Amino acid sequence: MRLLPPAWAAALAVATLAPRAAAQDPRLARLDPGARASVVALLDSARTAGLPAEPLMQRALEGATKGAPPERVVAAVRRLAVDLGSARDALGPKASAPELEAGAAALRAGVPPAILTRLHTARRPPLTVPLAVLADLVAGGVPVDSAGAAILTLARTTGDADLVEFRRAVERDIALGAPPAAAAAVRLSSITQGADRGANPSQQPRRP
Amino acid sequence: MFEQQEDVVERIVQYLRRPLQMDPALDGRVMQEIAGLAARRGPAAVAWRWLTRPRHVPVSPLAGLAIAAGVALLVVLPARWLGRPPASAPREFQFVLVAPRAATVSLVGDFNDWDTARTPMRALRADGTVWTVVVPLSPGRYRYAFLVNGAQWLADPAAPAARDDEFGAPSSVVTVGGL
Repeated sequence: MRLLPPAWAAALAVATLAPRAAAQDPRLARLDPGARASVVALLDSARTAGLPAEPLMQRALEGATKGAPPERVVAAVRRLAVDLGSARDALGPKASAPELEAGAAALRAGVPPAILTRLHTARRPPLTVPLAVLADLVAGGVPVDSAGAAILTLARTTGDADLVEFRRAVERDIALGAPPAAAAAVRLSSITQGADRGANPSQQPRRP
Repeated sequence: MFEQQEDVVERIVQYLRRPLQMDPALDGRVMQEIAGLAARRGPAAVAWRWLTRPRHVPVSPLAGLAIAAGVALLVVLPARWLGRPPASAPREFQFVLVAPRAATVSLVGDFNDWDTARTPMRALRADGTVWTVVVPLSPGRYRYAFLVNGAQWLADPAAPAARDDEFGAPSSVVTVGGL
């Protein structure tokens, strides 16, 4: 009898044992019985596809804790699994779990996958914060084109902390009544002009 | 007048060219004096002189490359190897909620399995208006919400809202950079 190569044997063992491991996760006991089997199947599918399963588990737990109906929990988990897969297609197979989760949020907010791919080529990893800021900007009302252009411009030269500060500044301006697109454009302009002068945006005085 | 000067110069030259009678023991005395000077300097001075004296150290091209690679490695060494916390290390985040008339407030989110009992917040003031808790978070994007009095879900007004909320209760988002 010919023995299986070790790598194949390991893969077979993982594929065989993974569903059992998922089924034994004590957190699954918190799910409604009507949703549990479907969620377990989605978790196993994600693992088989090489996608992070933990965000799916957390989404299911969120639904359970908030008392959502089982079908809505399953639908949310399934939608997130699809978004994670799309994010990996756009960001490449080496994207980390946090990057995929942030990418999935950006896609869910309405950002086209092409912008994620351009961001992937424009900036060295990790991309978690640029992707999250992009998702938050679009979710906050900034048009996708404006938000994408701003993040792609800042991604090459701006650090994570300054990206977060950019998002906060845009949100403040929007809360004060500025149109979202204008707020993003003005804040982007102030940062790029500051960079041209050699100033660090995070060191500029903050508005009271 | 010039002949008289030439005569003087000639006599000076002859004087300078005369053979000198040197003491045969002079070399020995000089060397003895030098040895005495070294002995009087003390071991520290001698050691310092030994350390600072230039030397020729033969190094093969391979050894030179190895030394250069070692120096380059030290220069570009990742920060975590030099004692700084790695980028994936958890960072502490403080969550604050102003909730007058609240009896209990919990922080619930992706970082605690949406367990309502795991992260209770404490009242900062005696009147119970400001509630806070500090949570270590690893790099990632987290959804969370506040649960007031065990029944009312509140989003964090100081954080971006999770617009992809699908369960009918508001959530917020916190992003921790690093991965």
